[in-house]
Amino acid sequence: MGYPYKPHASETLVLSTHFGDPEARTLKGWKDRGGYRALETALGMDPAAIIGVIKESGLRGRGGAGFPTGLKWSFMKPDDGKPHYLCCNADESEPGTFKDREIMRWTPHALIEGCAIGAYAIGAETCYIYIRGEFTEPLQRMEDALAEARAAGIVGRNAMGTGKTINVWVHKGAGAYICGEETALMNSIEGKRGNPRIKPPFPAVAGVFGMPTTINNVETLTAVPHILNQGGAWYKNFARSDNPKSTGTKLWSVCGNIARPGNYEMVMGFPFGEFLRDICGGALPGRELRAIIPGGSSVPIINMEEADRALMDYEGMAAVGTMLGSAGCIVIDNAQSIPRQVARLARFYAHESCAQCTQCREGTAWTTKILERIVAGNGTAEDLDTLLDVADDMTGKTICVLSDSCAVPVVSALQRFRGDFEALITKKTVHTVPVVVS
Amino acid sequence: MPKLFVDEREVTVPDGATILDAARSIDVPVPTLCWYPKLPVVGNCRICLVSVEGNPKLVPACATQAADGMKVTTESAAAVRSRQGVLSLLLERYPVEQIPEGSSRNEFEEYVRRYNVPTTRSRELPLRTGDERREDPIIQHDMSTCILCTRCVRACADIQVVGVLDVAHRGEFAQIVVGADGNPEHASCTWCGECVRVCPTGAIHDIIPMAVRAASGEMVERMRSRDMPSPDRTVRAVCPYCGVGCQIDLQVRDEKVIHVKSPWIEEETPNEGSTCVKGRFGTDFIQHRDRLKTPMIRRGWIRQGDTWSYDASRNGDERWGRRGGPWDLVAEEGVTAKRRPRTNPLRTNPTGPSTLGDPQDRVAIPDDWYEPFREATWEEAMSLTAQELTRIRDTYSPEALAVFQSAKCTNEENYLLQRLFRGGIGTNNVDHCTRLCHSSSVAAMQRAMNTSAASGSMREVEHESDVIFILGANTTESHPVFGAAIKRAVRRGATLIVCDPRRIELAARARIHLQAMPGTDVAVMNGMVHHILAMGLEAKEFIAERTHDFDRLRDAVQPYTPERAEQISGVPASLIRQAAEAYARGPRSSTLWAMGLSQHSTGTDIVASLLNLILVTGSIGRWGAAMIPIRGQNNVQGASDVGAIPMFYTDYQTVTSPEIRHKFTSTWGVPDERVPLTPGLKVTQIVGAGSPVRGMYIMGENPILSDPDVSHAEQWFRSLEFLAVHDLFLTETARYADVVLPGASFAEKDGTFVNTERRIQLTRKAIDPPGQARQDLDIVIELSNRIGLPTPFENAAQVMEEIAKVTPSWRGVSHARLDGTGGLQYPVDSPTHMGTAFLFDKGFPTEDGKARFVAVEFLPAAELPDDEFPFLLNTGRQMYHWHTGTMTRRSFALDARESTPTVELNPADALTLGVHEGEDVVVASRRAEVRIAVRLSKRVARRQVFIPMHYREAAANLLTNPVLDPYAHIPEFKVCAVSVKRAEPVQLDAGAQGRSVAVQGD
Repeated sequence: MGYPYKPHASETLVLSTHFGDPEARTLKGWKDRGGYRALETALGMDPAAIIGVIKESGLRGRGGAGFPTGLKWSFMKPDDGKPHYLCCNADESEPGTFKDREIMRWTPHALIEGCAIGAYAIGAETCYIYIRGEFTEPLQRMEDALAEARAAGIVGRNAMGTGKTINVWVHKGAGAYICGEETALMNSIEGKRGNPRIKPPFPAVAGVFGMPTTINNVETLTAVPHILNQGGAWYKNFARSDNPKSTGTKLWSVCGNIARPGNYEMVMGFPFGEFLRDICGGALPGRELRAIIPGGSSVPIINMEEADRALMDYEGMAAVGTMLGSAGCIVIDNAQSIPRQVARLARFYAHESCAQCTQCREGTAWTTKILERIVAGNGTAEDLDTLLDVADDMTGKTICVLSDSCAVPVVSALQRFRGDFEALITKKTVHTVPVVVS
Repeated sequence: MPKLFVDEREVTVPDGATILDAARSIDVPVPTLCWYPKLPVVGNCRICLVSVEGNPKLVPACATQAADGMKVTTESAAAVRSRQGVLSLLLERYPVEQIPEGSSRNEFEEYVRRYNVPTTRSRELPLRTGDERREDPIIQHDMSTCILCTRCVRACADIQVVGVLDVAHRGEFAQIVVGADGNPEHASCTWCGECVRVCPTGAIHDIIPMAVRAASGEMVERMRSRDMPSPDRTVRAVCPYCGVGCQIDLQVRDEKVIHVKSPWIEEETPNEGSTCVKGRFGTDFIQHRDRLKTPMIRRGWIRQGDTWSYDASRNGDERWGRRGGPWDLVAEEGVTAKRRPRTNPLRTNPTGPSTLGDPQDRVAIPDDWYEPFREATWEEAMSLTAQELTRIRDTYSPEALAVFQSAKCTNEENYLLQRLFRGGIGTNNVDHCTRLCHSSSVAAMQRAMNTSAASGSMREVEHESDVIFILGANTTESHPVFGAAIKRAVRRGATLIVCDPRRIELAARARIHLQAMPGTDVAVMNGMVHHILAMGLEAKEFIAERTHDFDRLRDAVQPYTPERAEQISGVPASLIRQAAEAYARGPRSSTLWAMGLSQHSTGTDIVASLLNLILVTGSIGRWGAAMIPIRGQNNVQGASDVGAIPMFYTDYQTVTSPEIRHKFTSTWGVPDERVPLTPGLKVTQIVGAGSPVRGMYIMGENPILSDPDVSHAEQWFRSLEFLAVHDLFLTETARYADVVLPGASFAEKDGTFVNTERRIQLTRKAIDPPGQARQDLDIVIELSNRIGLPTPFENAAQVMEEIAKVTPSWRGVSHARLDGTGGLQYPVDSPTHMGTAFLFDKGFPTEDGKARFVAVEFLPAAELPDDEFPFLLNTGRQMYHWHTGTMTRRSFALDARESTPTVELNPADALTLGVHEGEDVVVASRRAEVRIAVRLSKRVARRQVFIPMHYREAAANLLTNPVLDPYAHIPEFKVCAVSVKRAEPVQLDAGAQGRSVAVQGD
């Protein structure tokens, strides 16, 4: 079991090895634990070779989309005469997700090392680490570590004494979920309102300051030094035998109505049911697990029958109609009102909508109003159809996917738990907590 | 060139075009809300989503590039369903009950109808809110109808480059805000109305400043423009203010121009449909109750039989004398206590409660000004005028008569009036206010390259120039539409260099600001040329092949090291060097200047030194390297072009050539010897000491306020034997007239104007002149015929035929060609010639095609500060007013924004003087003094003050120095020495306002 508890025997520790070890935070401590060896190796390699190793490892984006990292890096054309940028997305704001926070708190140098390798591989001299504004402690850890790394000449004008320039900067967000969307993040770095941009052009063509940019999640970049140290083949082995598409280890943030919430590092393809019931300890005493949002609040909610069938990788989650996402696993038990949980999620999205696109601005707000009315016992028979109608308007039609993210829990909950909504509407009952149905 | 199919129709579009471009090119109406031509694409309304074969998701037509072989369906079932979704979501927060049954009021509601979306809402969400500008006299918001398309935000930020509006907050609370605190003043709003133009729902609307008959038939005061019933007609006109030549659409209802709309942004107009505050909200003066409606004759003129004589005993009131009236002289009014300025643009809330009162009353001419006059018939007025002009000519000589023509009147009117005085009377004493603005520029340009107008175009500067060097021109206030274009150019990446004694808005956006002492530009220019030569950056090939006298220039600038230039001008030598290098390296450097250079006693020299800089770097005659003297009035270029200046006929053909004279006299059917071969007197000579002029005809000018040393001018006009004034209002000049002829405003006539880039444009008549007022052309035609000059024209188009005949570079111009177009830039050599966007790519219009360097030495201004008069006075324009204020001060909106005269004073000087914002000071020069309120501003340097020229009650020109430039006879408006002292506070009673400004409601 992950930090703050002792690791569970079924975990595979790669990124989280040093969670809970304050010495790993310091440069000396990190070097003692093998730190910055990978960067040294990398700086002696051809950038294309680094990308080759990452491609071989099968590493995929850990922020939620699961895009192959090596492929993404290979979009950056060397010698195009333009400055390249690497952005590290540390704006971890997805409800239920708290893995990047722990990486930055405990192993900030691992992230810096990953950033430096990534920047070098894509031909960037500048890397911005965009940290969520509310992350006060991780921000401090990162800044301390960066100061050490700069002073030691690990990053800067003459990185590791190789004459190469790799500047790493920390940029603090100001409290907007949408700034975790890659193009909004870039606008925010540029000093503009954090509105997502229309794609195309994609960041690899015109990203931050209009220049070719790669953006990677904290967890993705932190995995890079390990891959360089131990080889692509080593990393690729962390996969189930029938699915080579998802490789490596994944940090799972588990929260909600579960016995042992926390961060767990699991190999790809581990059985989800076993994970929840054995490793995480299953339901709280006297309760039963009822529904799971396995990948951060933007993915479809599933019931326990589906969860027990699921395997913990990109394809395994897709097979049961949901997504791996950011692996921020929200567990809901039978003491909760599902409509209420869904209403709360909708309220989050309504609050975080940047308000550019009509469907998102109006749809998230309207959805929230309807759901809150239903939860308050004032729902009408037409409400559920209206919700689905609005959700349809909100899906696949906007600049970014925040609008879709709001529709997803609504639609998936209505598919799987429609009875809960209907009960509130017909009986006009208000669900109070805790209601233990046993 | 991708070829694609839109709704099964094949269409080929340029690379980079979007699906929307493709659809629009074949008139397929894809609905759009956030998209607007020329604005950045944000793709946020999502109403233009269309289906593309092979693409599972709908794509935004506005933001998706057209690709070869793409098959687009604009009204697929999915797209229509999506649009209905968008519209119904927007209607959730829209006051649906306001949508008229079965019809629509705006673009958004049209789409609601088009897609059959039920106009109902669940009321789950509240109506939208936002900053409302509730008490703004000009622009107001009704944010319940806002659909957050953000067109206004982008129009403000990207077209006007101001950035007043923005989206604040997020999610359902997102709203349009005005600056940080809702106060447009704090956000530098210029009230240009660009936001009004682009708003698709009328959420942002303007207020019509007059009573308009509503659809119901009742008269409504201060109606919102969006509630305005459809106009009876809409007429395309050219704005009556500055020289940019914006085209505007006048909306007419009940024979009143009730509203101005701008042309569609994609139309070929010089302004691309933009306007400034004056063009959009400043044209209501044409309906002001002060408009002259009948001819008037000064009491005392008696007609016996066919003869008029003046009988002093019957002038109505002996106090007035021969040519007086019950008013204070401008100089007397200058020292009176003033109403306190209502606002300080940067400190107080401008949009306080509407205590404005009705400007119809507030700035109106007092009733008693009319007392020395009686109403007359046109027959009386015309016969008296004709008799007196003939009598003075016969008694003295033709040289005893002079005419001031008008830069606000059309080419046709100006042509006929100079024709009348040259061909009918026989004098070249023909001039107009160009004398007071760019005559020195013209003199210098004539000397150097025999030209009199801009070499390039405004578009060229906006889109092509690498370096823009702008001198003595506060473009963002005086020519705001062009100013915005320059700001867009800067944002595109052009390097801006500003040379101006004030830290104007453009200076803040400039790479380099050369803050020279007024009148020291020769030193700066020579210093720049010196540095360019020292660095070897001159255009050697250009100099060798296309210029003369380079050696003389090199010798002349030798002593002007940047350090010496610094000593003279106060501009750091390093900045002079930087500016010189940036300008010379260009490669395409454009040069713009205005009154800051020309209105000096050394104005011709100053412009000459600038022309040397242009020639030495070869920054002319190439696309992107334009030379533009920015013209201040909508037809000051045209009036000069058609011969309203004493030494030239049309097209700058000299009056000294017998052949040219013969061409004109034979066209006019008068004997050659009728017109002298010597140039006539210039404005400043006519009014100056020793003038032989005894009688004058003035069309649409107000020289008493616009000439330097007003006290002298006012006395001089009173001493004339005969004065006829032909104007819209009883101006400060017209009140001394014997005959006042009511003319027509720009909205009441057909004709052509020429803008600052040589663009001849047609303006159309929207309404009839009020009362018995007549078309100016008719008045001049009748007078010509009465004088005995055959003038067989019936309309302006016929006059243009004659102009084209005698004007080589206008040969191909006719009203028929101009109608419905963006105009033609002359030279237009033939009826098929398409006009000339830029000049001098091959040669200059000199004999051998070469330009000439004219070496000039720095001379200080005639009157510099000393112990007694320690401040340097600079004069000029403000954003909200124009010239002598006859038009702008009678506009509700403009008067609301800027209603009282102010002097700009540096806060550090104010501290020394012990005066505060809004308090009165007395500004005195050797000639007069005025009492005027202080506006603290760091725009002016220390020991300099700036007084706008627009206000009679504190006339800047009482103070200015009437010393003239020796070549162009332009006065030194920009430099004189003054003292500034704190004025003793005066308790204002109701009548102490100066007699002419009735105070009501303030």
